[in-house]
Amino acid sequence: MSVAESTFYGLCAAALVGIGLYGLIVNPQPLRKILSFNLVGSGVFLIFGVVARRGAALGMGGDPVPQALVITGIVVAFSATALAVALVVRLHETTGAATLMPADAGEPPTP
Amino acid sequence: MNTLPTLLPEATSAGGYLLVLALVLPFVGVLAALTLGGRHARAVAMLALPLGLVLSLAIVVEAVRSGQTLVYLLGGWAPPLGIALRADGLSAVMLLTTAVILLAVACFAHADFAAPAAGGEARRPFMFWTLLLAMWGSLNTVFLAGDLFTLYVALELLGFAGVPLVCLEERPETLQAALRYLLFALIGSVLYMLGAVLLYGAYGTLDIARLATLVRPEPAAFAAAALMTVGLLAKTALFPLHLWLPPAHAGAPAAASAVLSALTVKGSFFLVIRLWLDVMPGIVTPAAGQLLAACGAAAIFVGNVVALRQKRLKLLIAYSTVAQIGYLFLMFPLAAGLSALQLPTAPAVTGGMLQAISHATAKAAMFMGAGLIYSTLGHDRIADLRGVGRQLPMTMLAFALGGVALIGLPPSGGFMAKWLLLAAALTTGQWWWVVVLVLGGLLTSFYVFIVLVRAMAAVDVPLTPKIVVPRHREAVVLALAGLSFLLGCVALLPLDVVQIGRPALLPAGLQ
Amino acid sequence: MSFTALLLTATVGLPLAMLLACLWQPLRERMLPWLALGAVPGLAAAFLSVRGELLVLGSARFPLAFALDRPGAVLLGVAALLWLAGGWYAAEYQRQAPDRGRFAVCWLMTLSGCLGIFVAADMVSVYLLLALLSVGTTGLVLQTGTPPALRAGAIYIGMALLAESLLLVGFVLIVNSAPGNTLLVADAPAAIVASPWRDAIFALLIAGFGIKVGLVPLHFWIPLAHGAAPVPASALLSGAVVKASVIGLIRFLPLDHSPWAAGAALAAVGLFGALYAVAVGVTQRHPKTVLAYSSVSQLGVIVAIIGMGMASGDPNAGLIAAFYASNHVLSKGALFMAVGVVSATGSRRLWTIMLPAAVLAVGLGGLPLSGGALTKAVAKEVLGDGPSGALATLSAIGTTLLMLHFLRRLRAFAAEDPAATASCGLRRPWLLMAVASLVVPWALFLLSPRYSLPDALAPYALWAALWPIAVGGALAYLLARWQRLPELPEGDVVVALERAGLALSAMAGAACVRLDGALRQWPLASVALLGLALAFAVATLAGR
Repeated sequence: MSVAESTFYGLCAAALVGIGLYGLIVNPQPLRKILSFNLVGSGVFLIFGVVARRGAALGMGGDPVPQALVITGIVVAFSATALAVALVVRLHETTGAATLMPADAGEPPTP
Repeated sequence: MNTLPTLLPEATSAGGYLLVLALVLPFVGVLAALTLGGRHARAVAMLALPLGLVLSLAIVVEAVRSGQTLVYLLGGWAPPLGIALRADGLSAVMLLTTAVILLAVACFAHADFAAPAAGGEARRPFMFWTLLLAMWGSLNTVFLAGDLFTLYVALELLGFAGVPLVCLEERPETLQAALRYLLFALIGSVLYMLGAVLLYGAYGTLDIARLATLVRPEPAAFAAAALMTVGLLAKTALFPLHLWLPPAHAGAPAAASAVLSALTVKGSFFLVIRLWLDVMPGIVTPAAGQLLAACGAAAIFVGNVVALRQKRLKLLIAYSTVAQIGYLFLMFPLAAGLSALQLPTAPAVTGGMLQAISHATAKAAMFMGAGLIYSTLGHDRIADLRGVGRQLPMTMLAFALGGVALIGLPPSGGFMAKWLLLAAALTTGQWWWVVVLVLGGLLTSFYVFIVLVRAMAAVDVPLTPKIVVPRHREAVVLALAGLSFLLGCVALLPLDVVQIGRPALLPAGLQ
Repeated sequence: MSFTALLLTATVGLPLAMLLACLWQPLRERMLPWLALGAVPGLAAAFLSVRGELLVLGSARFPLAFALDRPGAVLLGVAALLWLAGGWYAAEYQRQAPDRGRFAVCWLMTLSGCLGIFVAADMVSVYLLLALLSVGTTGLVLQTGTPPALRAGAIYIGMALLAESLLLVGFVLIVNSAPGNTLLVADAPAAIVASPWRDAIFALLIAGFGIKVGLVPLHFWIPLAHGAAPVPASALLSGAVVKASVIGLIRFLPLDHSPWAAGAALAAVGLFGALYAVAVGVTQRHPKTVLAYSSVSQLGVIVAIIGMGMASGDPNAGLIAAFYASNHVLSKGALFMAVGVVSATGSRRLWTIMLPAAVLAVGLGGLPLSGGALTKAVAKEVLGDGPSGALATLSAIGTTLLMLHFLRRLRAFAAEDPAATASCGLRRPWLLMAVASLVVPWALFLLSPRYSLPDALAPYALWAALWPIAVGGALAYLLARWQRLPELPEGDVVVALERAGLALSAMAGAACVRLDGALRQWPLASVALLGLALAFAVATLAGR
């Protein structure tokens, strides 16, 4: 992989992370936040992919360690997404709406 | 670099198998609970936790006996290809603390989360006990893992176990609190991972011991340090990143709050220590240390003042956690300052760890005590606590002892921590942290005093409890509080366990 | 362990053991009659363990050491006697109280802390016992549970913990500058003198112990706390408990080193307080509050003795200050007890209480042949004949005035029923203390090789004691005729301080709540997250 190529992929990754972070901060809907988180995650995995390809410079097909880690990372991100979606669904079931912003941010009743 | 212990070649040490057992036991418990189902989850946990306590004691004894870090190489493969488990003094004491607190919480929760008789739905106890075991397993992984990626996975597991604990009650507010917690923690972990990826890209390894020898001051390392630190701070809920903590900790059931406040936040804090003192002491600068501790100081001030204004006991305790987390971060500039003077960093590091352990035991006791007060009164409004002292004398004593530990009066662990941190601050001339330590203790004493005075006020008619709390549940709370109260007596031990396997001086850099 | 060491251990150990026994409720409820017992080992130790060897418990890293020097022995002896009589008195006074158990617990905490400090010889123990003392005292002040008691308790614990925090910082500085980082109190004065932080340590110690002994202007908690506590507790707080901090000043400040001018400043502050407290005290109406102001005044004189000792490098100043303080322990304890006895006595038998009380009260001002006259004569050695000596004489006049005012207020406090008499359980311990405060100063005076009976009976000495009393009496007469003093609130400056403190805390509280509310909004929190990441990046990049 040439330097220009890796720079291109790096920039793509940065853009993904940036878009994701923007969504995470600005979007009030939890579902969109979850999607944004996945975008950021993809950006990070892409960077890891670029890092893995650097092994090619040494005549190897690629560095196997990042690939193994990326797969693990994807699994973790998938579980996180599943958990978050499950929470959103349950929140929707109990309140009829799914929002992160309680009317009053403090003073939740205690059990 | 001559102060670093020589790590390569590395081999499994004599008691290394204990580390694997400590890692595997909780997860075997989780699997067993999953297989056997909700009716037996409690039995599984009650069987595994005492075993875990024995195991962590064995690890501490082994570490003290050998006087160095315990290592286990998985499959005999040494890093960078393989994965190493390591337990230095820091890990050993945290393993022990975790086992003790979880066992106490389990004894406390025994009655709350019993499987219903006669075949009712056992979802709640099933969730609680399985999550408790999962929490334990992920904490042990955090304490033992030797590389940054395993730590990432452990950190995520910790979050996945903690989030459902917040919303066990399934009320809308707790679901919302859990979702906020999860999403904010996810931002934190993704930043952490980005940092880890950058480090791998620059140095080709994620093993902590190897990284420590390879890291050089260059942009990739700087970016990684900043990203990983902030990611971990978000998970530790250090001010100003504490938005998720108060509703989550105040809304969870008492036993869950105790675990979340005492242990979960300490997991990511532990990683900050690893990162700053073990992975990249040569990267982080004094300015960064001051910044970190400044966040801590702000946490102490704002957390304590806001705690003082709370009307509900559990929220007060949750805000007190926000403040106490701040104390933990005062150790970093102090360790750096000592290191710059070519002095051992032991006072700062041991002080910080004592603070963490003292807070863990005291806060677990206080949250469980608040739970007992809630079930006795049917509410936890601080203004209406009158008469509780008569009804729950042991709980209020526990609350007082825990409060003493939080304020930092002798002979509590909080006092010992304060003494060591003060000494470090004065030795290094950083008197402003002295002001923070003193002011924080005073602010803490105000709310402890208010709660105690309200609860101990005499009543003409003894109040009629909603539920009569059994004595043994009070005794568990008192025992844990007593532990935090007497923790300062560790100073009487001939040996500083925390320092086992740690270099006396930090390598150049954090100066 | 030798017998003397055993006694030192038991001085702290027995009250602590009794405290532990209180964990069991049936014992707690029955503890009240036994409170006097807790002070017995301390009393014995004061006689038998003086200047015995250093007793060290614990590990080498944090040794807990106990020893008894001569000033400590003097104060331990009289304080233990007061604790004993006070325990006896309290057994009767609190017999009907609903919260007997809690009273006993707080009493024992205060007792072990107070007597313990006299025998503690390392800084960690001193700090530990001071903390125990403060917590116990707070409980005693809160005992009645009335709103004034709550206010006094809150102000007390706030001030006490502030004082301890200052002392803790001071102690850590001392340990840091001591060779070998020794924790022993005996090595502290030398370490302070040689320390690069000498002035900071001095300021911290004076502020910390100054709060605890009620050094004006840090005195405002004393009238509140001593007024709010039940009578036996007030007697102990005013008599014995504040002396735990006096011994702290005596042991920590470098008295037998080269003269240090800072001592003169300390003496000036002390003497100013001695006069100021008299001025405020005469405007008070409640006899306990008047006594509390008198304590502030007397402690000002004690601090002045210590300060002048420091200024002149007088190695005897510590013992002289302890002697002066011992008279105050006994007299003030007895006078507080008298308040309880008088309030239960009707007009018919009142003179049997008022007469001895009058002797004690005027004795505090220096009535010839009384303990007050002896201690004032001895204190002259340190205070000298210069301005500080003159001011001390002025304070003797003031004390006479204040004590006569107290007697007037006390008489108005008698029981309504003319035939009422106080029970034996109150009268006997009061009598014990009254006799002790007449006898013990003489015994201590004559025990000293430096003084003899003719010194005390010389006409010059008698005259020097008498004329301030006469002037004070004349002033008191004029004051009683004039009758136009404003009535200042208890704790004088506290009202303004409280108002300022509440306003400040309300402001800070509201600001913190607003800040917290803003930071718990999602967008702001996540921006803070990114901002913090950026800040760390900058700090690591630019900070090298």
